Amino acid sequence: MPIIEARNLTYTYPGSSSPSLRDVSFKVERGEFVLLTGPSGCGKTTLCRCLNGLIPHFYGGTLSGELVVSGLKITEHPIHELALHVGLVFQNPENQIFALSVEKDVAFGLENIGMDREEMRRRVEWALEVTGIKDLRDRAPHELSGGQQQRVAIAGVLAMRPEILVLDEPTSFLDPLGAVRILEMIKKLNEEGLTIILIEHRLDLVSRYVDHVMIMNEGSIVLDGRPRELFQSSYPELLGVGLPKVTKLFNMLRNDGLNFKDVPLTPEEASRLVEEALHDRGR
Amino acid sequence: MSFLEGFRFRGSDSLMHRLDPRVKFVYVCVIFLIAVMYTDFLVQVLLFILQFPAVYLGRVYRQWMKSMRGAVFLAVFILVSILLSQYFYYGYNLLLSDFEYALAMSMRFIVLVASFSIFFLTTSPDYLGLALEQSGVPYQFCFAFVTAVRFVPVLAEEAQRIIDAQRSRGMELEKGSFLKRVRNYIPILIPLIVNAVKRSLELAESMESRAWGSSKKRSSYYTLKLRRGDYALAAISIAALSISLYVKYLVMQGLIRIPMVLPLILRT
Ligand SMILES: Nc1ncnc2c1ncn2[C@@H]1O[C@H](COP(=O)(O)OP(=O)(O)OP(=O)(O)O)[C@@H](O)[C@H]1O
Ligand SMILES: [Mg+2]
Repeated sequence: MPIIEARNLTYTYPGSSSPSLRDVSFKVERGEFVLLTGPSGCGKTTLCRCLNGLIPHFYGGTLSGELVVSGLKITEHPIHELALHVGLVFQNPENQIFALSVEKDVAFGLENIGMDREEMRRRVEWALEVTGIKDLRDRAPHELSGGQQQRVAIAGVLAMRPEILVLDEPTSFLDPLGAVRILEMIKKLNEEGLTIILIEHRLDLVSRYVDHVMIMNEGSIVLDGRPRELFQSSYPELLGVGLPKVTKLFNMLRNDGLNFKDVPLTPEEASRLVEEALHDRGR
Repeated sequence: MSFLEGFRFRGSDSLMHRLDPRVKFVYVCVIFLIAVMYTDFLVQVLLFILQFPAVYLGRVYRQWMKSMRGAVFLAVFILVSILLSQYFYYGYNLLLSDFEYALAMSMRFIVLVASFSIFFLTTSPDYLGLALEQSGVPYQFCFAFVTAVRFVPVLAEEAQRIIDAQRSRGMELEKGSFLKRVRNYIPILIPLIVNAVKRSLELAESMESRAWGSSKKRSSYYTLKLRRGDYALAAISIAALSISLYVKYLVMQGLIRIPMVLPLILRT
């Protein structure tokens, strides 16, 4: 059974005249690393808000269709119940930190569910450990860099031990190196079994990690599949989604009649493909 | 702004930091009560001297001096205005006791600022929120309090950013008459408020996503536990209050008099 299943999801914000999600259907399997991308304003954030019930419980509006997450229909369960299964990390880390010390903030969700202190300490320790912020535990949020703040936000969500982690452009406020470090950390969590849904515009940065890509446009999912398959088409480019540069290069070479076994997602893969091709030709 | 720096908590560790905020608050309140109870310069000076050990133990001397500098400035203002009003009220005549009284009032102000400054410098708002919570204040209010404190530096930074942005578009803040200058701040206030509202929505969204309001009974990561130091401070506070109440009683019965300081100084 898929861990997330959406059927004909259509949603209109209150006071809005046209729907922000139109007839969205998709499935996500347990343990997948999903990349959700698409041009600005296409409804990615809106879709994320559905996943833990912020839509419709917090935002109101009209929602039709069905969305089941971890076996729970989002319309039938309150946000705080869904929050135990789906952790949402937002773009701006600054607005996700409530306490004046890191460890207290990581514990915020656990306090809310009334967890006893022993277990809470264990969870906080674990979350600080996996996000690599053990040394920062007593720091105040305004003393942290953007990357460190985002780690705190992720730790706070992880401490609840969700099965799904949804990250809405978590690295857009960070420098490239900080972004890669966070993504590596997310990949590691994914390898340990966490299902990841990542919204990101910079495919160059993230393509190497993902095994499922969904591309949205104007409220609908227009492409859904494995990255290598999707990236061979020129449709994403037409939508304004910037494919990884190496992938683009190989697509161009193919149009010129040069064929390789596969399309690469990273420079490392590209160099391997070229080497193999040269080797074959030499034979 | 540096005056306010003297009230902002600095994450660090010391004997004062480790004290229970509730006990510390009781201590500050006792100082407050005594300061208000007496109008004698001598008592106010003693109270002020009493603050030194706390500053030393809390290792917050530098920040504390910032609030003190601001307090002295305002105290001079208080001194002058009291003297002036006495002077006009009592028919253009000032006695030594009037000076003593004015000094006492200024010193009282300094004492109050000094003790509250120490309290806020050494008490993490997280623990303060917790103390409020355990004193029966509804959690929503405690949370609002901690969040307000948490976002002071963020909003200050944002205000500065907006000011810089508006300046770089040619806005001049310090030009014109008083009214004009007040009006100059509108293009700064509006984006600031709009941003704050947006921010609060994002905060609410993030709180909801972290199971806010899921159970009636929240648990707490930090706990407040009274330790030996807390009992000691509580004892000191109670003793200080009792002694000053007793002395005040004796004074009111006319059994003793608190000496004036100025004549002593002038005699030597
Ligand atoms: N709170 C809201 N109220 C009303 N309409 C909204 C709200 N949030 C988003 N919308 C609208 O819904 C549509 C989708 O917005 P959404 O934020 O989901 O896009 P996005 O794909 O996340 O874009 P971006 O890449 O810029 O973050 C947009 O047309 C937007 O104007
Ligand atoms: Mg978005």
